[in-house]
Amino acid sequence: MIAIEGLRKVYGVDVAVDEVSMIVEAGALTVIVGASGSGKSTLVRMINRLVEPTSGRVWIDGADTAELPVHELRRRIGYAIQSHGLFPHRTVAQNIATVPTLLGWDRRRIDARVGELLHLFQLDPAIFARRHPHELSGGQQQRVGVARALAAEPKLLLMDEPFGALDPLVRAKAQDDLKAIQRQLSTTIILVTHDMEEAIRLGDRIAVMDRGKLLQYAPPAEILVHPATPFVAALIGVGDRPFRLLSLETVAQAVEPGEAEGAVVAADADLRGVLAELLWSRRAAAPVAGGDGRVIGRVTLARLIDRAGTPT
Amino acid sequence: MAAFVAPPVGIARLGLDKLGVVVAALLAVGAASPFAVFRANRIVAGEAKFFFAALPALAAALFALAVLGAAAISLFRTSARTRLATAIVFAVALAGLIGVAADHLTPTGDRYARVAPAAGFWALTFAGSILFADSVVRLKLGPLARVLALALGAAAFALALWSGLWNELSILKEYATRADVFWREAGAHLVLAVGSLAAAVVVGLPLGVLMERRRGLRAPALNTLNAIQTIPSIALFGMLIGPLGWVSNHVPGAAALGVHGIGAAPAFLALFLYSLLPMAANTVVGLDNVPRDVVDAARGMGMTSRQQLFSVELPLALPVILTGVRIVLVQNIGLATIAALIGGGGFGVFVFAGLGQTAPDLILLGALPTVLLAFAAAIVLDATVEFVSGARP
Repeated sequence: MIAIEGLRKVYGVDVAVDEVSMIVEAGALTVIVGASGSGKSTLVRMINRLVEPTSGRVWIDGADTAELPVHELRRRIGYAIQSHGLFPHRTVAQNIATVPTLLGWDRRRIDARVGELLHLFQLDPAIFARRHPHELSGGQQQRVGVARALAAEPKLLLMDEPFGALDPLVRAKAQDDLKAIQRQLSTTIILVTHDMEEAIRLGDRIAVMDRGKLLQYAPPAEILVHPATPFVAALIGVGDRPFRLLSLETVAQAVEPGEAEGAVVAADADLRGVLAELLWSRRAAAPVAGGDGRVIGRVTLARLIDRAGTPT
Repeated sequence: MAAFVAPPVGIARLGLDKLGVVVAALLAVGAASPFAVFRANRIVAGEAKFFFAALPALAAALFALAVLGAAAISLFRTSARTRLATAIVFAVALAGLIGVAADHLTPTGDRYARVAPAAGFWALTFAGSILFADSVVRLKLGPLARVLALALGAAAFALALWSGLWNELSILKEYATRADVFWREAGAHLVLAVGSLAAAVVVGLPLGVLMERRRGLRAPALNTLNAIQTIPSIALFGMLIGPLGWVSNHVPGAAALGVHGIGAAPAFLALFLYSLLPMAANTVVGLDNVPRDVVDAARGMGMTSRQQLFSVELPLALPVILTGVRIVLVQNIGLATIAALIGGGGFGVFVFAGLGQTAPDLILLGALPTVLLAFAAAIVLDATVEFVSGARP
């Protein structure tokens, strides 16, 4: 658990982060969203003390981070950034081994860990371990960047716009992979983005920041339904709100008994995709298939429309 | 139809090469200028000899053939390999023919007669070098291949010297009478050039790191080094005589270490001062060019500032720092010649002695090794820079 308490950062007369307090539960994926200059990066960089707070405290699992030696603190926290910051003069394997090497792990343990991570991120060690970063695609570089951040098995991972440099298709895949890896490793992740779409897609909870202040900190559905301020509402984009709400739910939550014509949809698909599919194929309902492929019921357009509005 | 797309075959195959025109013109000028100079002794005015007079009939024919062949091949668009082979063959021919000319022009048993290469020879050498350098660039030789080519060239040069091919040339006659002095001054020259470089690396590199870390220090330090750079070398030598003389007289042990107002110490110090700016400035630029996100990632992962410097920043700045080393070494090899003026030794000894005696051959004995040394240093360090940065984008 990470407790942020009255955190404040002042540069001269500019208040970058203004009295932010929040609690991040262990194992949660928290997304901090805001425009550039909102203080979101500064907030995250104060957690691993790349920026020293003007006042306020950060507690990780009950320990005050200000009291730990700064290098030890940072080696315990994974850190991944937008342009990945891979060391261009080192191979993929050496890059991933950075923090384990700093921690003095023995060679065998490091090699095993590097192999494990390359597999986890679907990079064949035989091909990629000895390559240099410039020999990788943007998506591969990004994966190596995250693998490097996870190398020393940190309980907490900080990610600053990790997908910002990727094109949309690769980004969607990277987001799905991150979600899957997070569930598998149950790492606590704090991710910074300017993209509300990404925040809703990834976050267990979303913290919205503007001009240094934390405006709202809540699960995505609550942010969509009850935006705390007009700024938050504007950030969500009122026009997209029903679709974003639908994107948070899966078919399994809207399935009902009955039959329907046409192609089946999967129970774990999100409702926005199903709505699009029904509208496109001019159907009022679609059969739903469970994990084993058997039809378990149907999902109707009427039900989707009902779920897309404000809860009454 | 094809005629609209491709130029007529004849022009495509025999089209003129732009640089080749220059080379061919130089070759023409070279062939039409005196090939060698004959002097009855080392200081009288010489009489210029054109190639047909300087060479025996067969060698003169060979000469004409070599020049015409090289001109034809460089004039038209030929492959880079052909041009390189031509340049090498031409160089070998030229090296052999100047030796033959020396033998031919020197009366048998005359120990005072001097034969030296004349304007024509140098023009031809220049033309050959352009052809060679151009074909090497076009072949895009890798760094290792270039160093290997240099080694082969040096070996061939050494072989030619050892074989006695050039023994009748005036420059080697000058060498023969002062061989031991030559090697002593060569050693002094290298100590001055390389030693001052080493000192500049030891001081300039940390200075550059410090300037990069402390922004406030940068402008004053760079301006000071810049100001030193603008002092003419002879003036700087002169300015150092006073302070070093004082040190020699007043600091115990300084004189025993070889510190005097004149001699090697001020020369070494001056070269060192000139070297500081390129070393420190290139270190700063190299460190500045390390991508910010890479440094940020290094910090964020918990590297100490020492670890950041040694395992990330300096390795990434290395190509630029080595470029500084290259600038300094080539510059120092040339500048060290001036050291002879204040008794610092080096190849300059022959240059200034030659100027004093109006003996051009002696000047050449000092100048030629300096040029060759600087040239070799440039090739080796360029290759090193490319090799070091080769593993990266």
